Amino acid sequence: MKSQIWKRLAAAGLAVVMTAGLLTGCGKKTETNSNGEEIVELTWWQIGDAQKDQGAVLEKVNEYIAEKIGVKLKINTAGWGDYDQKMQVVINTGDDWDLCFTCSWANNYLQNANKGAFLQIDDYIKDTDMYKNIDERFWEAAQVQGKTYGVPSEKEIGSMPMWVFTKEYVDKYDIPVEELKSLEDLEPWLKVIKENEPDVVPMYLTSSYSAPIYMDLIQNPVGIEYGDDTLTVKNLFETEKMKSTLQTMRKYYLEGYINKDAATASDDKSVKRFVTKGDGQPFAELVWGKDLGYEVVATPIMDTYVTNISARGALTAINAQTDYPEKAVELLNLINTDEYLRNLLNYGIEGEHWDKVDVSEDEKAEAQGKPYVYENKIKLNEETRKNYSVSYWVQGGLFNTYVLENEPIDKWATFKEFNTASVEAPSFGFDFDLEPVSTEVAGFGNVLDEFGKSLYTGSVDPEEYLPKLQEKLEATGIDKVIEEMQKQIDEWKSSK
Amino acid sequence: MKSNTTKAEKSRGTFISRLKANKELLILSMPGAVWFLFFAYLPLFGILVAFKKFRLSGDGFFYNLFTSETVWFDNFKFLFSSGDAWIIVRNTVLYNLTFIILGVAVPVVLALLLNELKNKGMMKIYQSSMFLPYFLSWVVVSYCVFAFLNPEKGYFNAIIQQFGGKPVSWYTETKFWPFIIIFMSQWKGMGYNTVVYLASICGIDKTYYEAAVLDGATKWQQIRYITLPLLKPVITILLIMSVGGIFKADFGLFYQLPRNSGPLYPVTNVLDTYIFRALKTSGEIGMSSAAALFQSTVGFILIMIANKIVSKVDSENALF
Amino acid sequence: MTTQIQKADIKSEKKISERKMQKQIKKMEADECRYNQIKTPTNVAFNIILTILSLICIIPFIFVVIISFTDEATLTMNGYRFIPEKLSLYAYEYIISAGENILRSYGVTIVVTVTGTIIGLLLTGTYAYALSRKTYAYRKFFTTVITIPMLFSGGMIANYLIVTKVLMLKDSLWALILPLCLNSFNIIVLRTFFKTSIPDAVVESAKIDGASEWRLFFQIVIPMALPGLATIGLFLTLGYWNDWFNAMMYMDNRDLIPLQYLLIQIESSIDWLASNKAAMGVDGITAAANMPKETIKMAIVVISTLPIIFAYPFFQRYFVNGLTVGAVKE
Repeated sequence: MKSQIWKRLAAAGLAVVMTAGLLTGCGKKTETNSNGEEIVELTWWQIGDAQKDQGAVLEKVNEYIAEKIGVKLKINTAGWGDYDQKMQVVINTGDDWDLCFTCSWANNYLQNANKGAFLQIDDYIKDTDMYKNIDERFWEAAQVQGKTYGVPSEKEIGSMPMWVFTKEYVDKYDIPVEELKSLEDLEPWLKVIKENEPDVVPMYLTSSYSAPIYMDLIQNPVGIEYGDDTLTVKNLFETEKMKSTLQTMRKYYLEGYINKDAATASDDKSVKRFVTKGDGQPFAELVWGKDLGYEVVATPIMDTYVTNISARGALTAINAQTDYPEKAVELLNLINTDEYLRNLLNYGIEGEHWDKVDVSEDEKAEAQGKPYVYENKIKLNEETRKNYSVSYWVQGGLFNTYVLENEPIDKWATFKEFNTASVEAPSFGFDFDLEPVSTEVAGFGNVLDEFGKSLYTGSVDPEEYLPKLQEKLEATGIDKVIEEMQKQIDEWKSSK
Repeated sequence: MKSNTTKAEKSRGTFISRLKANKELLILSMPGAVWFLFFAYLPLFGILVAFKKFRLSGDGFFYNLFTSETVWFDNFKFLFSSGDAWIIVRNTVLYNLTFIILGVAVPVVLALLLNELKNKGMMKIYQSSMFLPYFLSWVVVSYCVFAFLNPEKGYFNAIIQQFGGKPVSWYTETKFWPFIIIFMSQWKGMGYNTVVYLASICGIDKTYYEAAVLDGATKWQQIRYITLPLLKPVITILLIMSVGGIFKADFGLFYQLPRNSGPLYPVTNVLDTYIFRALKTSGEIGMSSAAALFQSTVGFILIMIANKIVSKVDSENALF
Repeated sequence: MTTQIQKADIKSEKKISERKMQKQIKKMEADECRYNQIKTPTNVAFNIILTILSLICIIPFIFVVIISFTDEATLTMNGYRFIPEKLSLYAYEYIISAGENILRSYGVTIVVTVTGTIIGLLLTGTYAYALSRKTYAYRKFFTTVITIPMLFSGGMIANYLIVTKVLMLKDSLWALILPLCLNSFNIIVLRTFFKTSIPDAVVESAKIDGASEWRLFFQIVIPMALPGLATIGLFLTLGYWNDWFNAMMYMDNRDLIPLQYLLIQIESSIDWLASNKAAMGVDGITAAANMPKETIKMAIVVISTLPIIFAYPFFQRYFVNGLTVGAVKE
């Protein structure tokens, strides 16, 4: 009798667990759209924080794409900091997903492609419009060992390191910023600021700063210098340029040009600064200025180079195990070519999150004939925009979106020009297979973190610490990595 | 033959009768055992990943697990590839030993203090406030600590300068950090750990104290001869269990708190931070499983040794 | 029928024993006053020490509270300050206006914490009790069962597979409750507590009276082990309240995420964006601009921590000395 109680309890417990399971795992019903096409649901993983109005926007999106291509979309998001970990679990456990955001700095594109997580899409994309529209160098960068595993979001193709000056001081001291390029060029002006503006940090650096690097770091700190057509693999810290840069940084640090907490600081906007370094793109000054609350002027430090890392800034990949590869490609194609859908996904619902505004005739005339110029600009609704603001490039290319009221109508044309003007690094297109040296590469992370930041910011003396760094890199086997990379790159070169 | 059957029958008989005799307790331990089966034992297959070069070639995790190439101990190599392996192991073990000792000493003393207080209302206030740090994540704590230690505008340097001293570059000077780390770890955990001992003290049979008071024992003698000996089982068990974690470190404490400052690595790099930094670039799940397995195995061996020693000295209080 | 009668029986007996116990407690407290107290100077000294310690613990928290009330612009201008130039309620207003999410998450956290603590106490209590009984023949086996998982685990990916594919708990609140309701540490602490604070004599005399194990457990052991159970209850409550990892793993449905995960997600996003600035360039800045501001973050810390602070006195009610005396004498 007593055991009956237990049996009942156990049964109840089991029932609870079962219902909980049932509630989540209910079966899908098949729906069809007006063309008689069966509607399939695709799950898309995206980076960034969930948006309050995502449900409402998705409803509109689904209404449209269900009719058009017979697809319904389910978007899952994981926060910036969680995305890597979450995707590792989702991908490796063989969870159900169809599309995901991937790039060179989160949910690593190359690793996942090599691992077999992504679908090879060459055959699917050949005849699509997006394949023709998107800059071919993006498609080139998307290739791993000659195969394409993702659809790139068209954005800036190269990374453009810039000096970012506070406009107030530029005007006050009449500084010819256009002429200031290299680190050394800055010196006289840093001195002027140091002497005349006691509460301004001449060169404000934070822990995420890295000194100007004139090479493609294929596997940090190993890579190929820009402009080196012989493709000689080098250790960054053995290049003359880096050595002298570090010396200069140290000099600046000792002179008091650089803030003392540079190696550990996170950007503290209350600090008044004269110059800092940032990785830019066209119109970046506006973003920085808005972020800081005052105007800035920016000048590029060097030419813009296209590397695999920079051109893989944002892609969308398809699960190798998806049931609907054609539909997934069709969806991506639509997003990258359909004006209505693209803007809906990017800005939200017209009339609720944004409204169209007219463009002045003068501006229109000026932009005549340029690519990616639209009939109208848009104005975001200040009230509701915080309920739906996603990063442009997470879902698709930038160039199919409307520009904002305060931006030039030919913004994307400028971007396009910028991309065309970017120079390919000699190593562009080469992928390093780190399989044979994965143990050695694992050792680099610790060494670089230990010395990198303090050397870059000049916080420690390179005379003393550079040899220490080299010694540790050698101990972890950098020579073997250089040798292996040289071997692979030679093979790549001869096959090209 | 004949004797064999009877033996088997007998043993079966004792097995069943034992089962019957323990039926009630067995039923009581069943729900817990089922939980352990699902949440602790079934997932153990994941350990296999440590010996694989995990690749995705088909549908489903198990298919991929079995089709992936077995590389045996290759995934473990990176743990020893660094020239700093010795420093990292030293840091991990020394910090943990300190934490283990302080993790007993500080809470026991606090529990005794709290228990002797006359005003029980204050006791609740003290305990509640000592719990506060437990709720702050290391990220938030690191902001607060940075507000004090910031070399440019932190409170500490401001005070030092007021007294005419030279400002200290807190995030590059290794000599302060062992102390800071130990202090902060105690600061964060002491409220939580005190509770176990406080509850145990409350669970002590009051008659012991009554008798002691009748015999004219002082407060100190009561603590020395009643409270502490009766706390011994709890202390021993918690000590044995913490030994198992000697190769594992609190990531936030060693990564966020020192703001990942490079010059501090000689005193802040521990196994967990090392593994994190090492795998940032390659993201091989085989390697991270290997690292976890290595930590567990060492912990397991140490626990077995500790338990053996305890069971030799005082078998009553051994773990099993 | 019979079971009902029994239940009623158990209930009334429980009430009686509870009442008895309360009397006992009062008597004990009175006794205590008479014969066993520290001297006043010592008491003062102890109070001073504990006050200092408490202050060290409270100050950073007060700091967080102050930041949450600081004007955002002042914060950008002056950085963190104990005495801000300008105060503002903006952060709290923002949270209330964007309220829906936070309120829902509060609800999720409370449901998960309460259910989880109750289930956890039951499971931990029964298992630990069985282990604490010297006559239990399978004691050694079941101790080993809980010792191994203390060290070895299958890792994130294996756990995910079991929870989502075997137990089918994805996007279910059970995925937040079940993984945390039991752990070896709690069992061993409680087992040790049972062993040390419940005299064998009590158990044996009850057995001789013909009490079954569960009667023993529910009617004698539980009332006697209240401080121990309160400890485990407190640990479970704190564990559930602070948990965000399971939500990150198993909750794709944004309507069911607990409060801590909201907070941790904002924290980790800001942290990550700051340290990946170099890789993301301008995109990182645009993304960070969409994140809630510092003051809001701190306000969420305050809002998510304050209620749980009051949980401590609740559990501490059960930390009462000398309960065993009564039980043995009866």
